[in-house]
Amino acid sequence: MTQLIHLLFFPGGLFLLALGMGYEWLDRKLLARLQNRQGPRWFQPLADTVKLLSKEEIIPQGANPWLFIFLPVVALAGTLTAALYVPLFGLPPAHSLPGDLILTIYLLSLLTLGTGLAGANTPNRFSLVGATRTLTQLFAYEAPFLMALLGPAIVAGSWQISIINDFAGRNWLIVTQFVGFLVAVIGLMGKLELPPFDAPEAETEIVSGALTEYSGRGYALFRLAKNVELVVGLTLVASFYLGGLANPLAFILKTGALLLIIVGVQTLLTRLRLDQTVGLWWRYGALLVLAQWLMIVLAKII
Amino acid sequence: MHTNEHTAQIEKFIIPIGPQHPALKEPGHFEFTVDGEIVTHASVRLGYAHRGIEKGVESRNWTQNLYLLERVCGICSHVHATAYCLGVEKLAGVEAPPRAQAIRELVAELERIHSHYLWLGVTAHEAGFDTLFMYTWRDRETVMDILEAISGNRVHYSANILGGVKFDLGEKEAQTIRQGLSFLEERTHHYLEVVSQDALFLQRTRGIGVMTLAQAETIGVIGPTARASGLARDVRLDDPYAAYDRFPVPIILDDRGDLSARVVVRLKELLASIETIRHILDDLPPGELTVRVPRKIKPGEAISRVEAPRGELFYFIKSNGSEMPERIHIRTPTLCNMASVLTLAVGHHLADMPMLLAGIDPCFSCNDRGIVVQYGGDDHDHWTWERLRQFGIDHYKQLESGVF
Repeated sequence: MTQLIHLLFFPGGLFLLALGMGYEWLDRKLLARLQNRQGPRWFQPLADTVKLLSKEEIIPQGANPWLFIFLPVVALAGTLTAALYVPLFGLPPAHSLPGDLILTIYLLSLLTLGTGLAGANTPNRFSLVGATRTLTQLFAYEAPFLMALLGPAIVAGSWQISIINDFAGRNWLIVTQFVGFLVAVIGLMGKLELPPFDAPEAETEIVSGALTEYSGRGYALFRLAKNVELVVGLTLVASFYLGGLANPLAFILKTGALLLIIVGVQTLLTRLRLDQTVGLWWRYGALLVLAQWLMIVLAKII
Repeated sequence: MHTNEHTAQIEKFIIPIGPQHPALKEPGHFEFTVDGEIVTHASVRLGYAHRGIEKGVESRNWTQNLYLLERVCGICSHVHATAYCLGVEKLAGVEAPPRAQAIRELVAELERIHSHYLWLGVTAHEAGFDTLFMYTWRDRETVMDILEAISGNRVHYSANILGGVKFDLGEKEAQTIRQGLSFLEERTHHYLEVVSQDALFLQRTRGIGVMTLAQAETIGVIGPTARASGLARDVRLDDPYAAYDRFPVPIILDDRGDLSARVVVRLKELLASIETIRHILDDLPPGELTVRVPRKIKPGEAISRVEAPRGELFYFIKSNGSEMPERIHIRTPTLCNMASVLTLAVGHHLADMPMLLAGIDPCFSCNDRGIVVQYGGDDHDHWTWERLRQFGIDHYKQLESGVF
C-alpha cells in the first residue's frame, strides 16, 4: 500500500509531475525576467498541459499511428521510472540496486530516443531534419554526460545512486571535480535541448523540430516528460556535485541554485549550430572529462 | 521553367521555408535543397503579399495617394512618402522650403534608427539570441516615443505633404529628441560591443555568407548589404535629396562582407544617424513649412530615388495632366538584395539560412508587385478571371476527393 502511494502520489507520480511543472514555470519565469519580459503566471504550465490534453490529436498521413501514439507514452514512462532511482525531494530513492546509475541515465535517454523516433516516424521534412539533429546531438552529449556522472561514482566506489549521494553528503565534489560539474550541467542542458543547445528544435529553422507534427495529447506527454527529466536531471547533478540531498530543504535550495545557473546560461548565449555543438562536446567536453577521470583514477591508485 | 526545375529536383530533399514559417515575419517561399545539413540549391518565390497598390494609385488623386503610398511599408513609411513627394514636386516644378526639407531628413534618420533597431532584434532572434532581441526592442521604444511625440503617430508618422511637411519642431520637441538620442547612443555603443565581442554570436556571424566586392557589384546589391561588402553605394551621398546636401551623412563601409559586417555596418549607421540628427537640430533652417502645389500636375515623367533603411528606393511617376497619376512604379530595395541570398546560400548550413535571409533585412510585402502562378497549365502569364475561378474550383474538388 505504501509502495503504491510512493509510486502514484508522493514522491513519484502526481507530486513529481507537479514538481516538473513548477520547475518549468520557474525556468520560464526567470528566463523572461532576465530577458526583460513579464513571463508566464504560476499556473501556466498546468494550463498548457490541460489544454493540450483536451485537444484533438491529429495523426499525419504516412506516419505509423501506433508509434505516433505510444512514443510519447514511452518517453514519459522512461523519465518517470528514472525518478524512482534518484533521491527525489531529498528523500531516499524509492528503489535502489547496485549499478542503478547506469539504469537511470539510460532511462533518461528514452525521452531523446522517443523524440528522435517520433520525428523520423512522420513524413514532415522539418520533423525529419529535427530527428536527425536530435539523434546527432544525443551522440554528442551522452558520452561526456555519462562520464561526468561516473566521476563521483568512482570516488565513492559504487555505482549505486543512494551510496554516491551519502558519500557526496560528506564531500562537496564540486570543489574537487569542477570540470565534471560543468560538463554535467551543460550535458543536462544538451539533454533537455535548452538554449543554446536547442538546434534540434530551432524554431526559426525547422519550426519545432522532431515534434512539429504533434499537437494534442502526444505533445502534452512529451512536454511532461521533459519537465520530469528536468527535475530528475537537476536532482542527479545536485546530489552528486552539490553535497548530496539529505532533506527537502537541501533539495529545494540546491536544485534551485542549479536551475538558476542553467537559466543564466540560457539567457547569455546564442544558439549553437549543430556542428558547433558536436565540436564543442567532443573537442572540449569529452577530453576535459577524460583528463579529470585519469586524474581521479591515478589519485585512487596512489 | 519553374515546372521543369521542380521535376528535376523532386528526388532531392527539399526543405520548404514559407509561405508560413516562424523564421519569416511576412510570407515568402524558399526552397532549400539540402545534402544533410548543407544547402546545395536555393530558390525563392515571391508575390504572396501582392496588394495591388500600384493599380490603386491610378484611381486616387495626388493627395490621397500620399496616404496610400505611405502604407506600402509599415517600417519605412516615411521614405515612401518622401520619394513620392519629391517626385511630384519635381513634376509640378516647385520645391519644398529648406525647413521642410530638413524636417524630412530628420524624420527619415529617426526612421532609420527605428528600422535598424528592429532589424537587430530580428537578426538576434534568428540566431537564437533572444535576450538581445528583447533588449533591442525595449530600447527601440525610445525612438518610437520620439516619433510619437513629434508627429502624433508611432508607425505612420505622416510627416510629408505635397510641397512640405505637416508639423514644425519647437525647442521642446528638440529637447525630447536630444534626450532620447543620448540614451540610444549609449545603448548602440553597448550593442556594438556585444555583436563584435560575444564569442558565440560571432561564431554564428563571422565568416558566414561572405560576399566579395566583385560579387556585390555583379549581383547588384544595395543599401547596408552593399556597404558591408565595401561597395560605396548610398543615394544620400550619390544624389542628395531633401536636405542631405546641407546635412550630409558619413558613409559607413566595411570590407569583410560577412554577416558580422552587415550587423556592424548597420549599428555604425545608427551612430551616424544620431550625429546627423543632432546637426539638423542645431542648425534647423528658419522659414515656411509648405509651398503651394497645384491640384493638377503638369504632364510628364519623373524619377525619384531615396535611401530607405534597406537601400535605394526607386519611384517612377508619370502624370497625364489630370488630378490622378497615370502610372507610378515602385521598386523597393528588398528585390535587389534577394538574389544575394540565393547565391550565398549554396554551401552554407541550413541553420545559417534564416540569418542569411535576415542579413539583407527583407521586407516582402513592400517588395511584391505581382503574382506568378506556378502550377496549372503552360500559360503562366495570362490569367483571366474565368480561368482563375475555374482553377480554384478544380483545386478544391481535387482536395476533397483526396487525389491531390
